Amino acid sequence: MKSIQRFGYPIFFVIMALLPHLLDPRWQAVAITFLIFSVVALSQDIVLGKSGMFNMGQALFFGIGAYTTAILNTQFGWPLLATIPLAILIPALFGVLLAGPIVHLRGDYLLVTTIGFNIVFVQVVQNNLGGITGGPNGIFGLDSMSLFGLQLSSQVDVYYFAFAVLLITLWIMHNLEGSKPGRALHYLREDQLAAESIGINTRIYKIFAFALSAGIAGLAGTVFATQYSAVSPEAFNFMQSVLFFSIVIVGGSSVPGVLIGVFVMFVLPEIFREFATWRFFIFGFAMIAAMILRPRGIIPASFGKIPKFLIKENRHGA
Amino acid sequence: MDIFLQQLANGLTIGSMFALVALGYTMVYGVMRLINFAHGDMVAASAFVGLTIYTQVMGQATSLVAVIAIFLLAAVVMAIIGVILERLAYRPLREAPRLSAVVSALGASLIIQNGIMLIWGPRMRIFPELVPQVYWDLGGVVISLIQVIILALSFFLMVGLYLFVEKTRMGAAIRASSIDQDAARLMGINVNSVIMLIFIIGSSLGAVGGLFIGLYYRGITFNMGWQYGLYAFIAAIIGGIGNIPGAMLGGMLLGLFNAFIAGYVSSTWADAFTFILLIVILIVRPTGILGERVAEKV
Repeated sequence: MKSIQRFGYPIFFVIMALLPHLLDPRWQAVAITFLIFSVVALSQDIVLGKSGMFNMGQALFFGIGAYTTAILNTQFGWPLLATIPLAILIPALFGVLLAGPIVHLRGDYLLVTTIGFNIVFVQVVQNNLGGITGGPNGIFGLDSMSLFGLQLSSQVDVYYFAFAVLLITLWIMHNLEGSKPGRALHYLREDQLAAESIGINTRIYKIFAFALSAGIAGLAGTVFATQYSAVSPEAFNFMQSVLFFSIVIVGGSSVPGVLIGVFVMFVLPEIFREFATWRFFIFGFAMIAAMILRPRGIIPASFGKIPKFLIKENRHGA
Repeated sequence: MDIFLQQLANGLTIGSMFALVALGYTMVYGVMRLINFAHGDMVAASAFVGLTIYTQVMGQATSLVAVIAIFLLAAVVMAIIGVILERLAYRPLREAPRLSAVVSALGASLIIQNGIMLIWGPRMRIFPELVPQVYWDLGGVVISLIQVIILALSFFLMVGLYLFVEKTRMGAAIRASSIDQDAARLMGINVNSVIMLIFIIGSSLGAVGGLFIGLYYRGITFNMGWQYGLYAFIAAIIGGIGNIPGAMLGGMLLGLFNAFIAGYVSSTWADAFTFILLIVILIVRPTGILGERVAEKV
């Protein structure tokens, strides 16, 4: 893990920074998709992996962010980048409001409720509630990015926007790990009762995790809306949430694991396009095989600096 | 009043299909504490298997014997697939973290769903008209022969299952395993056979549910499993997951609820209302209507 941090990350960042100049436009678009979905998957990891709450509705917050940007831009004429604060705050607020009443639910019940939120959201935007979500076709014709009068309409600009968002996300995740909330979340994931009994307000921290995760996913939504100049309900349906959920668990809830998971789920299908109809059939087998061979994920996350002899293997997991 | 009675009849029909499928979820969850996400797709697969048995094996016969044979054959095929699924995807993960098994179930669901697509194609298929289109008009309320058959057969299967689980030794083994697997093992119960039995029962009930869906709605698509599976799973949770009468009750309630939403509000909002109902029930009773209030094990 340490060697990855020392050498892997710099190499990864340098490659990612140079990437758009090495690719043709089609692959630049794929690379942007990789960056966006990496951010969403990492935000999902905060709730699912780091805090151990079974959330299967992350596409909801991703979608709220994207729709916030799209509505503010097309209906109210806000520049795309100016929508960022609200595209973070509104999903985060929804995270608090929706998670508030349900965070006490036991694992699987929480899972089903979050699926429910996701499905209700898709139905709401499909039925064009309030006449602002554009119905089943979604919203299209967004402006391109601009900053202080500078037009940033090329795909490479969008790529660097997405890359910056990924870097911010990684920075937040890195800081979270050693911070008080991060340690509290880790503790309540391992043993909620013990965490409560030493005075950790588990309810507040759980809601905090949802809000943080929703805010980051919402920001990814802005990038998504920027890339396609459009949003539509299918992009945020429950199937997407299932994929983000699986990526975090298969990846092992570590940053490299999650990035590999996103690569396998969203980039490999672009490379093997002729097998498009077989895509999910093969993924199904891959998911089962990955879990049987590595039940804790491809690259399991490690936490802190606990000496090996003190770690008791928790066989039954969360 | 007519709408009320009509939707009552429709709701009971849909509800009994939900209940049949919900039983598969609840029994597996009861013993293994696992949401078998593949169950909904098994239900969808059953409708397609039924279609193929009808055209290839039965030579498109619709006699009573042929229809019974289609139901039995589809149930046997799905039971075999269910047992294979458990062996390959779930048994190796019994000691693994809970979420690994969930992802394995999601993987199995993708395999079955896309397997259907690769075999039968991505387009909607029309399920054969196995039961003649007979309707009775009972003073403004129209009831079809299909509805009567679905209601009667579901009722018969559910009573049968209830008696099996409550009155037989094998049923006692199932109940014991769902309370405490380790203790059940110490009492000499072969938990592996119990789990196999549960997959056989759950998958064949789901197979009947899938054929009912085909008979009632006629149009079947490869990805319909998610939709019906999710509803059935919600039914199981509303009733109290792991609880067999709870799944039956939850299925009926959800069917009625859906029918009344469709009748009085609009079917375009059915999903939203269903989930709002679920969330409200879970906030009021976090373990469902018939679920026991158990403290989290320490």
